[in-house]
Amino acid sequence: MAAEGGAGPPGGAEEEEDDLGYRLFPDRKKKPQSFLVRSLFTFHNRCQLMLRMSLETNPYAQLLLAAMKQSGCTVFNDRHFSCENCDGCVSGGFDSATSQIVLCQNNIRQQSHMNRVVAHELIHAFDHCRAHVDWFKNVKHLACSEIRAANLSGDCTLMNEIARFKFGLKAHHQTCVRDRAIRSILAVRKVSRETAEKAVDEVFDACFNDLEPFGRIPHNKTDAKRAYKDFLNRDRYNANL
Amino acid sequence: MAGGGGWRWRNRPPRSCEDYWWEWRHCRGLRHAFHHYYAHGARAAAAQEALCKSERARVEEKQKYAPVWTFRKSPPPDWYLPLDQDSPK
Repeated sequence: MAAEGGAGPPGGAEEEEDDLGYRLFPDRKKKPQSFLVRSLFTFHNRCQLMLRMSLETNPYAQLLLAAMKQSGCTVFNDRHFSCENCDGCVSGGFDSATSQIVLCQNNIRQQSHMNRVVAHELIHAFDHCRAHVDWFKNVKHLACSEIRAANLSGDCTLMNEIARFKFGLKAHHQTCVRDRAIRSILAVRKVSRETAEKAVDEVFDACFNDLEPFGRIPHNKTDAKRAYKDFLNRDRYNANL
Repeated sequence: MAGGGGWRWRNRPPRSCEDYWWEWRHCRGLRHAFHHYYAHGARAAAAQEALCKSERARVEEKQKYAPVWTFRKSPPPDWYLPLDQDSPK
């Protein structure tokens, strides 16, 4: 899995699953709870409401949904999203084996956080849809998607970094993207820090500058709305280029 | 159709005039300059010049890095498959 997150394949021995991040998402293998238990004793309903708000109003999500539909991967709320309890501090993940985005209902408490997690995971889903990403065996492939997700989802905006007590200005966005990509890889793969850093460094330039489908780094909702508008007008753009 | 100055009725610019106006105003603003410094560590003067380059040059500049992945010709075959909770995993 990709944790706000990584992607992982299902099945295999427990040891293999632990290498691929499934230990963070224990509900993936369990049967779904009954409606009553889910409604009364979990944050499932809150998660579903926030998810819906995000998909309907957040320009990051709207652009990614439109781009995925254009690529042939229409996203359906009840098929491609799952609100579950997760371990640790992880906020979400993309399970490429089931083509599902997992949202950690016990760790996402605010709408702004949900917006960011949804955008982050939709970028992983978009990459899965448009390219042959070897999530499980190729750390560089995973690193590239994590770089793009940290870069384009709003994870590394100045305000988010300040809220994490990480202060910096000059090219700090790149530092944040690099650090968060390494952190995500280490969360879902049993590789050394050196391996993760090497993979990120090798693909950083190519993947940091791959801005699809946004066409720009969206630093705020205004940028995202502009990018969405440009995406909707792409036919004219390509025809007249 | 012959080339030449000015836009002819069938040679529209890639984006609408309002988009270019917004982009120009946006690029000249302090907020954009700050975000450019925050993201790239350099002043935004170069970005303003990029606005004046042709759109084709901008697209070519974006494509100069070799892609890490191989791109698909069709979406993943299991994207729409129903979830099967009982399948052995």
